[in-house]
Amino acid sequence: MNPAPLDLVDAGPRPARASRLRDLVARRPEAITFVLLVAICVAVSVANPAFLQASSLIDIGRASVVMGLFALGVFVILAAGGIDVSFTAIAAFTMYSLTVLVSKHVPGLPMPVIVLMAMAGGALLGTVNGLLVHHLRVPSLIVTIGTQYLFRGFLLSFIGTVWIMSLPPQMGAFGRMPLLQFEAASGATITLPMYFLVLPAAALVTWWILNRTLMGKAIFAVGGNAGVAARLGYNLRTVHVFMFAYAGALAGLAGIIHTCANRQSNPFDLVGTEINVIAAVVLGGARITGGTGTVLGTLLGVLLVVVVNSVLVLVGIPSTWQRVVVGGFILLAAAFFVTCQKKS
Amino acid sequence: MKKHSKTLLGASLVAAALAISGGALVAQEKPVIATVVKISGIPWFDRMNTGVKAFQAANPDVVATQYGPATADAAQQLQIVQDLVAKGVNALAVVPMDPQVLEGTLKRAMDRGIVVVTHEADNQKNTNADVEAFDNADYGKALNQRLAECMGKKGKWTTFVGSLGSRTHMQWVGAGEANAKQYPDMQLVDPNNESFDDANGTYEKAKEILRKHPDIKGFQTSAGNDVLGVGRAIDEAGLSGKVCLVGTGLPNPSADLLESGAITAIGFWDPKNAGMAMNSIAKTLLAKKPLTNGMDLGVPGYEKVKVTKGAGEGVLIIGNGMVLADKKNYKEYLF
Repeated sequence: MNPAPLDLVDAGPRPARASRLRDLVARRPEAITFVLLVAICVAVSVANPAFLQASSLIDIGRASVVMGLFALGVFVILAAGGIDVSFTAIAAFTMYSLTVLVSKHVPGLPMPVIVLMAMAGGALLGTVNGLLVHHLRVPSLIVTIGTQYLFRGFLLSFIGTVWIMSLPPQMGAFGRMPLLQFEAASGATITLPMYFLVLPAAALVTWWILNRTLMGKAIFAVGGNAGVAARLGYNLRTVHVFMFAYAGALAGLAGIIHTCANRQSNPFDLVGTEINVIAAVVLGGARITGGTGTVLGTLLGVLLVVVVNSVLVLVGIPSTWQRVVVGGFILLAAAFFVTCQKKS
Repeated sequence: MKKHSKTLLGASLVAAALAISGGALVAQEKPVIATVVKISGIPWFDRMNTGVKAFQAANPDVVATQYGPATADAAQQLQIVQDLVAKGVNALAVVPMDPQVLEGTLKRAMDRGIVVVTHEADNQKNTNADVEAFDNADYGKALNQRLAECMGKKGKWTTFVGSLGSRTHMQWVGAGEANAKQYPDMQLVDPNNESFDDANGTYEKAKEILRKHPDIKGFQTSAGNDVLGVGRAIDEAGLSGKVCLVGTGLPNPSADLLESGAITAIGFWDPKNAGMAMNSIAKTLLAKKPLTNGMDLGVPGYEKVKVTKGAGEGVLIIGNGMVLADKKNYKEYLF
C-alpha cells in the first residue's frame, strides 16, 4: 500500500520524509489540498467513470461560484485573525431587499447597476460589523453572531417574508446568460453560465489586495499580532472596517448571483450554510488563528468541499450516509491540517 | 446559546403582541378559537389565515384568529401556545412544529377545559382531535400513479424527501414505491435523496442524478421546494416533457415550471380548507356535539370524514382534501 499522507504525520521511523512533509504543509498548505482534490477525483472516476464528463466539471464550476465568493471574504477576515459568520445574512438581506426594490419600484434598472448596488449594500452592512468589532473590542465571532440575527431579523420583520418567484426580467436573463453551451450525448443541454467569470475576477482582486497593496500587508500583520501591528503604525480601525466591508461586498455579490441563478428570491435562504464555507477556507490551508493562507488555497478548499458534496450520489453512497461521509471527511482533513501546523 | 437568545427575543415580541390584543380577548363573551401555525408570513400559512378569516365571516358567533412565530422554531411556537392558554382562550387549533414539544402544554390546556384540535400531527397524544387532509399512503400512491402514467409505466425513477427524519415524506415515498411495484418495468434508482427543502441544493443533486442516470425518466418529490429545484434542473437541461416530475408543491411558485412542462403535476392540500376544518371541529367540540364517522364538516374535501381512534385519548379525523394540479388546472388554486 502506498504511504498515505496521514501515515506520514506521526511516522516515527521515517523522520526525514515526515519533516519534509511538515515543511511543505507549513510553507504551501494548499499543495495538500490540491493532492486531496486530485485523489478524490481519481477515486470517484474509478468508482464511476460517469464522473469523467465535461458536464461534471461545469456543474462543479457553477456550484463553486457562490461558495467561492463567500470563502474569499471569510479568508480575508481569517487572515487578519478574525472570523465572520454574518456573511450569509448579509447576502440574504441584500439580495432580497434589492429584488423587492427592483421589482416594485425601479423595474428598468440595468443589471450592472443592480450588481454594484448589491456590493455597496453588502459593504455597508460589513462596515457595521467592522465598526462594532473595533469599538466594542469584542471577539468578531460574538459580534457577527449578533449581527447575523440582527440583519436577518430586520429582513424578516421589516422587508418581507414572501418568496419572490418571478424575478425582474433583467435578473432572470443574467442568471441564464450562457458563457458556454453544448449538448450532451443524452440530449441534455449543458450550460456554463456567464456569472461564473465573477469568481476568477473576484479571486484576482482579492489576491491583488492581499499581495500587492499596503492594506494586504496590514491585514496579515494584524492577523499575526494585532498589538505589534498597531505599534508598527497600522491603523487597526481602518483595517477592521476595510476587511469586513470587503467581505460584505463579496457577500452582497454572492447573494445577487444566487438569486439570479436560482430564479427566485427566498428571504429564508443561505443562512445556515456558514460552516461549510468556513470549513472550505480552513481546508484551503488558512489557519483559524489568522496570519496565514492564500487565495489559491481558499479556491482549492472550496473546490474540495463542492466536489465532495457533489459526487456522493455518483459514487453510490446511500442518502442515509451522506452527511456522515461529508462530516467525517471535513473533520479528518481539518484535523490533519491543524496537527501539521502545530508541529511545524 | 444562539437558540436561547432567539427564543427570548421571539417570546418577548409575541408577549407584547398578545398583550395588545389581550384586552379584546378577555372582553369577549363569544367563545374564542385561536389557530396557531408553524410560522407566519409564508404563503402556505397566509392561505390558512384566509381560511380562518372565511370561517370567522361565516360564523359570527365565535371569535377566530390566527397566530404564529416569525421563524420556524418549536420553542417560539410553544411560547405562543402557553401565552394563549394563560389568556384563557376556549379552543386551540394548532399546527405543531414539533408535536413532542407541545405535549405538556396541550395537556395543561385540556385539563383547564380548553378544546385542542391539531393538524399535521397524527402522533399527537394530548389533543381532542387531530385532522389530516388525507391519508398519507393514499397521497403517496396518487403521486406515484400520476408519475407512472407520465412515464408510460416504464423506466428509471427516483425519490426526494425533505429529510430522512420527516415521517410524512417517508410515508409518501414508501407508498409510491409500493405502487410502482405493480409496474415491473419501473426501476427505482438511488432513492430517498435528502433535499432539506432547499431549492438550490435540490437542483445540484438533481443535476448529479441526471448525470449518473442519463436515461432517468421520473422524479417523485416530497418537500415544497423540491419541485422547484428538480424542475429547474430539468428545464435547464432542455428535458422538459422528456423527464416526468410529480411532487408536493404550491401552485404560485410552481406556475412557470408547470407552464414550461418541466413539472408534470404538483400535489398538495389546500391549507385554507384545513384551517376551516380545524375551526369547524373546534366549534363542534365547544358545542359539546360528538364527532362521528362520515360526518360533514361543511368544508370542501371534508364532507365525509373518516373518524378513528387517535394516538392518545382523542380522535383522528381524515378528510379527502388531496389536490393534484397540472398545467391545465393549477390556475384554480393560485396561492
